[in-house]
Formats: sequence, structure tokens, C-alpha cells
Amino acid sequence: MVSIAEKLVNATVGVAGLGGLGSVVAECLLRSGIGKLIIADFDAVDKSNLNRQRYFADQVGKLKVEAAKENLLRINPKAVIESYNQKITAENAPRIFAEATVVAECLDEAEQKQMLVETILTKTDKAVVSASGIAGFGDSNSIETRRMSDKLIVCGDFESGIDNNKIVTAGRVGIVACHQANAIVELIVYP
Amino acid sequence: MAVLKINGKEKDFDGSLPATLSELLIELKVDAATVVAEVDGEIIEREKFGSFSLKEGQSIELVRFVPGG
Repeated sequence: MVSIAEKLVNATVGVAGLGGLGSVVAECLLRSGIGKLIIADFDAVDKSNLNRQRYFADQVGKLKVEAAKENLLRINPKAVIESYNQKITAENAPRIFAEATVVAECLDEAEQKQMLVETILTKTDKAVVSASGIAGFGDSNSIETRRMSDKLIVCGDFESGIDNNKIVTAGRVGIVACHQANAIVELIVYP
Repeated sequence: MAVLKINGKEKDFDGSLPATLSELLIELKVDAATVVAEVDGEIIEREKFGSFSLKEGQSIELVRFVPGG
């Protein structure tokens, strides 16, 4: 019988976007023992990110994929981190995440989320764990993990967007990210 | 009767079913660019919303994304 630890170390997970969700999802997955992560983001670390994203002040200006890789390898030097400094599109997503069995959707704009989830579900046989509704603070218990279909899980409160002048706080977006990471571990252990 | 099951709940359209997925989203005041739609277990790509005809009794799951990440 394959142990839980073996299933996790043999798994490859994609993390699309390395902001308040992705930087936390990647860290949780790595600490949970996932053997390989494919991380993708086009952005660089900004000072304003540090209130919620898992980077450090001395990494401001660095590409997020480079800063994240550096931090993840400090946690587990044996992990394999494949990184793509690219904006994710419907065309490149199936290629970037080809080796992953699950992709975490951690993008910012609603249209981008829609594009990636639709692409993974229609162009690949992978599962996708997405997020919708992460903004604000408090009301932790309104955040849930919903299994929408065989291959789609969505985490969040399903209504708190950053479009209503809502601030994003480390705790609340972090809860959603941890829901995502937790759902991914479960998907890998019990596919 | 013109009933669709939307996200698990039956919705009666009073005899006039929206003709397509696009029309349904307009009626529900939901921006199609932020929605992943599944009809009877099959994902319908966004570019096909306008040509995807709806039929009485279909089960539709609409996943709406709000920004933030």
C-alpha cells in the first residue's frame, strides 16, 4: 500500500498566480510534503504585497516566481520547483501545467479566474481548486470549500470581491488559501 | 411550465424559458465573463454561451468568480 506521505511526495501540483492566495497555497503544499510544484506568475514583489503575501522586505523588486522559489527551497531544499515568469493564458496553461494532476487557481481578476478554470476543465483532465470571495476581514466562518463537480472545487465566501473597495487582509485571504491547500491534499490522497 | 434547475434550485420562468445560456445570464444579471457554466454535468465554454440552447428541465451549475487573489 502506498502511504499518504508517498502519495504527496510523488505528486505534482500547479499554482497559478503567486499573490495573497498562491504564495500561501504553495507554502502549505510544500510543508504538507508535495514533491513538486509548478508555479507561475508574471509580476514582481511590491512593497504593498507584504501585508499578506509570503515575501520579505528584502525581496521587493524581485520576480515573484524567483522570490517564491527561493523561500520554498529554504523550507524544503529537496522539493522540485518549476517556475514560469509568464502571464497565464488559455493557450499556455495546458502546457505550463502539463505535469500537474491538480492546479490551484490563485489569480486576481474574475475574468482570469474564469479563463483558467474553463481551460483546465475543458482542455485537460486535471482537477482545479479555485477561489472566489476572499476580501475584507472577520466573518471567517462564511468561507467554505464547495465541490462543484468531479474536477472542480471552489473555496471562498463566493461574494466578497476586491471590487467593492474592500481591503484584503492576510488572515482572511490566508484562510481561503489554506482551504485550497487542504482540498488539494485531500484530492491527492483520495483521488 | 418552463423550469430550469439552477445551482440545485428549481426556477420557474413563467412559460418563457431563456433561449440560450447568454440570455439566462442576462436575465440573472450576471456578467458572462466571470462565469463557468455546467449544463447537465458538461462544461460549456464561454464562447458558446450565445449558441447554447436551453431546454426545459436542464440542470445548470453557474460558478461566478469575484475578483481578488
